[in-house]
Amino acid sequence: MSRKSFPFRSTGGELRDLDQPGYYPGYSTLAQQKSWDDATRKAVTERVEKTPPIRFFSEEEAALLGAVIDRVMPQDDRSEARTIPVLLVIDERLFKNALNGFRYENMPPDQEAYRIGIKAIDEMARSRFKQHFVDLTVHRQELILKSLHDGNPDPENAIWRRMPVHRFWALLMEDCVTAYYAHPWAWDEIGFGGPAYPRGYMRLENGLPEPWEKPEQRYDWNAPVDSVSVLDKEGAPPEHGSLHGHGGSH
Amino acid sequence: MPHRLGPMQTLPSPMRRFAENETVDYCIVGVGSAGGVLIQRLARAGFRVVALEAGPFWDTEKDWVSDEKSSHELYWNDLRITGGTHPLALGSNNSGKGVGGGSVHWAAFAPRFHPSDFRVYTEDGVGADWPISYWDLKPYYELLEREIPIAGPAWFPWGDPHGHPYGPHPLGGVGDVLVRGCTRLGIRSVAGGPVAILSASHGDRPHCIYRGFCLQGCKVGAKASTLITHVPDAITHGAEIRAHSMASRISLCDDGRVDGVVYIDREGNERFQKSRAIIVAGYAIETPRLLLNSACPGHRHGLANSSGTVGKYLMAQAGNVVAGRFDQLIRLYKAPPAHALSEEFYETDKRRGFARGFAVQTVGPLPVAFAKQMIAAMGAWGWGLRSVMMDYNHWATIGVLGEILPWEDNRVELAEEKDQYGLRVAKVTFNLHNNDKKLIEFGKKKVMEIMWAAGAKQVVQESRFAHLVGAARMGNDPATSVVDKFGRSHDIPNLFICDGSTLPTQGSANPGLTIQALAARTADYLIKHGDAIFFSNHRDLAEPGIRYDLSPPYTRFKGIPRIA
Repeated sequence: MSRKSFPFRSTGGELRDLDQPGYYPGYSTLAQQKSWDDATRKAVTERVEKTPPIRFFSEEEAALLGAVIDRVMPQDDRSEARTIPVLLVIDERLFKNALNGFRYENMPPDQEAYRIGIKAIDEMARSRFKQHFVDLTVHRQELILKSLHDGNPDPENAIWRRMPVHRFWALLMEDCVTAYYAHPWAWDEIGFGGPAYPRGYMRLENGLPEPWEKPEQRYDWNAPVDSVSVLDKEGAPPEHGSLHGHGGSH
Repeated sequence: MPHRLGPMQTLPSPMRRFAENETVDYCIVGVGSAGGVLIQRLARAGFRVVALEAGPFWDTEKDWVSDEKSSHELYWNDLRITGGTHPLALGSNNSGKGVGGGSVHWAAFAPRFHPSDFRVYTEDGVGADWPISYWDLKPYYELLEREIPIAGPAWFPWGDPHGHPYGPHPLGGVGDVLVRGCTRLGIRSVAGGPVAILSASHGDRPHCIYRGFCLQGCKVGAKASTLITHVPDAITHGAEIRAHSMASRISLCDDGRVDGVVYIDREGNERFQKSRAIIVAGYAIETPRLLLNSACPGHRHGLANSSGTVGKYLMAQAGNVVAGRFDQLIRLYKAPPAHALSEEFYETDKRRGFARGFAVQTVGPLPVAFAKQMIAAMGAWGWGLRSVMMDYNHWATIGVLGEILPWEDNRVELAEEKDQYGLRVAKVTFNLHNNDKKLIEFGKKKVMEIMWAAGAKQVVQESRFAHLVGAARMGNDPATSVVDKFGRSHDIPNLFICDGSTLPTQGSANPGLTIQALAARTADYLIKHGDAIFFSNHRDLAEPGIRYDLSPPYTRFKGIPRIA
């Protein structure tokens, strides 16, 4: 993994090498696994214990996509031992060609979309900064990726004329969060209760924790001050890149 | 080990197996909301029934998990192509695969359609009228509400006001936000239902434990799916369900009647099930796809498609999600996602400048779904995404469920690409029209208002769609519809369609309950006409009369409160 640390200068102090970021210190969903059903325990613990090898991407592609993921789903604050595998999960999906049930008519198949998408990112890096993407500083990597996020690739690249940049961005981001927020360490970070069968929940109102959950302990967690991936002050763009949600929650 | 359906119920064993070359009375394609009810009714009435289901026969203890990512197999994940000005997300959003179909992962909101939904063209001059009225369907709503059964308030004030057989659920954090916001704005809301989730135990099904994983398949057995409500009774009464059986083509005889279904079994072998009548229940994409893929001499443009409407008038509902951040903790993952709603804006209000309306409903995205919503709603990525997700427990989410009208250009066609079976995949085109856009804009703003009124400090929204209906609509006129009011195709007397695809309009109600009510009514029609369906081309359009003696166990002696 090509992890590179930011100069952390947040008011909350230096945030790096944390075993557990977030506001729920000491909370562990995995510690509750004796209360889970067998099938769920197996699925979740395998996610933590077994990480698949890279089988779809070439070594070079893996390094490149890994560098992209380190910026769009950054984990510099996490300790090496508590880094959540994202690249490996995406590689496995593409290796198995596991689909999500649809493809936009103007998008290539997922496997090809990734190959040409990261190729475009590297070409953009070389054309703008005369270096491969993996060798750029964190800030320059973010500038390239921010332009994709904004839907205005800078510099332009021919690949974005045959693949809509906002669709590629959504594909990449959704795969990243599907890997990251499916991991029990991420559940600990955000205070999600995790699997709850057969025990269930009793305290439904007022955001109260179950006896085995932890109360929130807020502190001033700030993203690195020089990152361009922090949220805009005014919040959301009104219709972000005409994206439509894929969450499926009705 | 017995095949488990929830912690208390097991699948009746052994299941009847029809011999390879045996002709059955009915072959049903797809065991979802409609297929599950149909096969149960037909088996109880003594017909020889086989249902082909493309996906697995779930064992809920072994196959289902309390986990978002590992529940991926509940959805129809095979390739489909999506396009148009507002392409629909498919897959997890609106399809199921496996016995129970989409009812396995629906949120289980179970409101009825309003009487006005059946007369949209007459009342508003848009969309279409149904060939039946609300009053034709009402006894079936009441019956299915007891069979499923539905938990909800004793008094549901909108449409045709009614009560529910099981009591309402306690409120979770998100429901609390909806009720508070609505109350402050003087908008009526109801809480604790109507949902197809047990608030008290029912037969061999326990009550809800409020773990929030409704969309991942309810291991508890509290949330209804036809897998646990109707399929066991169907098996008990001699039906066969063949899982991992993908229908590829319906076979047509020289006499203009269908005689069986070609399907591909688990091992990839092509097989043929001979049947005296066929009911397609594959939902709004696979139903038209199968009819189109069954094109043959005399039916060049697909079976039962002399009107050219197979695949057309596809509808999804506007499903915008409004998320609000609160200073206090919400913990939105607790309690069923579906548990409070308002239908105050359901009907046409001319002052708004568009026809029809929308409902306001709680939603409860778990972390992966919520992260996807933040990507779309806030453009979150990188450190911004990490930090907004650290506030997951401070957010509440409320959905718009808006009526999008049936338009001819919203459709299912066949793409050139083929799937793993060598069958052409579906291409889905979806465009929003003016009335739809105005409705969505109004609905979105109204729900944001409710969120602010509830005390949110930040409010964002994500555009999305929910549910799929239409694409093989019912009607009186064979020139503009595919099936008659009982689901019988206008063109082929022993070919029926029974699922969400027959809906002419969709209202702002989640379609599951209506689909099941229609299936029970179609079953009553088939049972009343008995063998005539298999031989006669005569089309009797009289109401069959409802049968109260064909329900699954534990249905009787359940009252529905009537409070005037």
